[in-house]
Order: sequence, then C-alpha cells, then structure tokens
Amino acid sequence: MKRILRLISMTVTLAAGFATGACEMGSSIQQVKAQHEAELMAIPGVVSVGIGNNGKGEPVIVVGVEQEGEETLSAIPRSLSGYPVEVRPIGKIVTH
Amino acid sequence: MTHTLENARAVAHANRSVLLNKANVVATGVGYKVRRGEKSDTLCVVCSVERKLSPSELRDEERIPPEVDGLPTDVVETGPIRALQSTTGRFRPAPGGVSVGHRDITAGTLGCVVFRDGQPYILSNNHVLANSNAANIGDPILQPGPYDGGRLPDDRIAVLSDFVPIEFEGAPSGCGVAGNVVGVLNKLAEWAGSDTRLQAVSVQARENRVDAAIARPLEDGDVSKEILHIGPVKGMGQGELGMAVKKCGRTTGFTQGEIQQIDVSVKVQYGGGRVALFVDQLMAGAMSRGGDSGSAVLDDSDRLVGLLFAGSDSSTVINRIENVFSALNLSL
Repeated sequence: MKRILRLISMTVTLAAGFATGACEMGSSIQQVKAQHEAELMAIPGVVSVGIGNNGKGEPVIVVGVEQEGEETLSAIPRSLSGYPVEVRPIGKIVTH
Repeated sequence: MTHTLENARAVAHANRSVLLNKANVVATGVGYKVRRGEKSDTLCVVCSVERKLSPSELRDEERIPPEVDGLPTDVVETGPIRALQSTTGRFRPAPGGVSVGHRDITAGTLGCVVFRDGQPYILSNNHVLANSNAANIGDPILQPGPYDGGRLPDDRIAVLSDFVPIEFEGAPSGCGVAGNVVGVLNKLAEWAGSDTRLQAVSVQARENRVDAAIARPLEDGDVSKEILHIGPVKGMGQGELGMAVKKCGRTTGFTQGEIQQIDVSVKVQYGGGRVALFVDQLMAGAMSRGGDSGSAVLDDSDRLVGLLFAGSDSSTVINRIENVFSALNLSL
C-alpha cells in the first residue's frame, strides 16, 4: 500500500513538473517579459525593459541600463524561460 | 575658347538677369560643365531649372542658348528652391514640427493637428503644453515657445484644453487608507517618543502610457494640417519592431530612425528629481534632442504612429498614437 501511494505521489510530482516546464516553454516572450519586468526594473541602474531583436533577428528581452556597471550587469539574468536577455547601455532617459 | 574663372564670372554676371527672366529658371551660377554624368574641366554658366523640358516644349525666347558670350551653358534640374524654414520661427498658419509651448516652459514641438468632436486641436506633450501637470485649462500656448522668443499676447496661438496627468513615482499618495495607516503609525511613534515620522508615498509605481495634451487654436486658420518637411498626415499606423520612422522637431528638424524595441517599460526623468514610469512605449535609436518633445512620428507612408516625448543620447522614447488618441478621445 505504502509503495503504491509513493508511486502515485511520484507520478503526480513528475506530471506537475512536466506541466510547469511545458507551460514555461509555451509562454510568449511578451508573457515572460511581463512576468519578470518588475524584478528587472528594480535592479539599480536598469532604466528600461522591452522586446527587440538580436543581431540574428531573433526576439530578445532588452534591458536598458544607464551604464554598464558590474553590479548592474551581474544582477541581470542571461536568459529568462529560454528567451535571451540582451543588455544595452542607453544612458539616462529624460524628457525632450 | 577657354575662359578663366574671373572671365566666366563676369560673363555669368552680365547675363544673369536675362537668364533668370526665362520661365522655369530658378538659379544661375558658374560651374564646371557636366557631360554624360561626368564633370569636365570646362567652365560654364549653370542654369538651374525647376523641371527639364525638351526644346519643343518651349518657345524660342524661353530656351536657354547653348552659350552666352562664348561661355557654354549647362542646364540642371533642381526642382523649386525654397528657403530652409527654421523650426524655431513664428508660423501662421503653424504646421507640425515647429516650436510651441506653454507660457511657463522653454519650448517643445507642435506635433500635428488632431480633431475632437469635429474641432481642430494642436497635439503635443503634457510637459510641453501643460507644464507637467502644473498648468490650468485655458492657459495660453505660444508659437514659437517662450525660449524661441514667443511672447504674450502677440504669439498666443491656442489655449490649453485637456491633458493626461502624469503619475510620478514616490509622489504623495492619494490613497485614503495609506494616509490613515500612516496617521495611526505616526501617533504611535509620537507616543513612543520617536522623532521619525512616516509619509504616505506610493511604493507601487504608477504606470503611464502617454505624455499628451491638446490645445484649441484661437483661430482655426492659425494651424495647418501639414507637418514641416514631411507634408500632410496620411492616416494612422501601428508602430512595429524594425519599422522605419521619421519626425520633424523644433531642435533637430527632420530626422529618421528605426523602431528597435516595442512593449517598452521605461523610467523617465522629468527634472527636479521627478521620475515617471511609462509602459507600452516604442523605442527608436537617436533621432531627437531636448526641444523635439511633442513631435509627431510617422512611418514611410506618412501614417501617424507615435508621439515623441523623451530619450537619451542613443535612444528616443515614443508613445503609441493609439494610446494617445484613446486617452484624449481624438481622431485625425
């Protein structure tokens, strides 16, 4: 009986794990960006978060930083849910 | 016969008025003759025409002779020549792309003419027409803006009609519950003998989508539906990644760029330590500087896609025009 219960619980855990993974894989870049935006914007030195293309024309999450300081750069992940994160120094954004 | 430059200039000068009197000729000067696209070393009188016509389309007296006083002529097509109009001058009617501003600001850009309930309005930014929330409805709008010499009452072109308030980060909260909680905490702090007092501030940044305002012209005829150096707006478009865009602004005039990012959330500095968070913005490369705020941003087909309002040395931040039009209930 115990073994059966353990087997069921393992199956459930595995299924849940796959489901989460599949859900993450299926998320659009817009969804992933929206999900992580607040934490990215809270990093000191980050001024913007948007969606752009990299040199190969693939969609990337673009994080704009005031300047490329080590502390800021080390706090920004390289990718989010499989989407590359590209850091671009854009300076201070002021009204024009 | 070869001419010295001095001699050629004398001949050109002597024949200038005869040549300029011919229909179609807009300029004369001395230059080197161009043969089959190649510059030669033969001096000539260059006659610039609006449009090149075949000799059969012209009466004899309108034709430019092959040479004058032994000096060859050359005909080049330049189109009509207009004075390069400064964006900082006074214009009536005023087109988009020129200096404008609330009486208490420096200067920004008149975006374009828009309509609400069938009436024409000037579209620009809140921080240009409404002094970043500080203005009152009915305040005078000057063209050119005060920094460019616009003065009351002569240069008043419109009155402020409406604006979308900008929500700044860390501004005192309008939330009653937060205020009450802070009040209670401060009472407790007082009772505990603490000198520290709390102030209710919005911790959660409030989101802005547009920095926009409209002003009603004093006379409908004082504004033009054209945009300087661009022409009339030909409908509405939607900003997309990789789209080529252009604008005419008070400071940098006509410039072009490309939308490099969409769905942008960005912190914008408003001076005096005020910061506002904007979401759903378009970001282009460098195509703007201070004073260009309020410029209408158009695509390759002259469709309106955005309202420029901020940037850095390397980037330009643009409100989506669909957000501007829905926030202020506008149409073209």
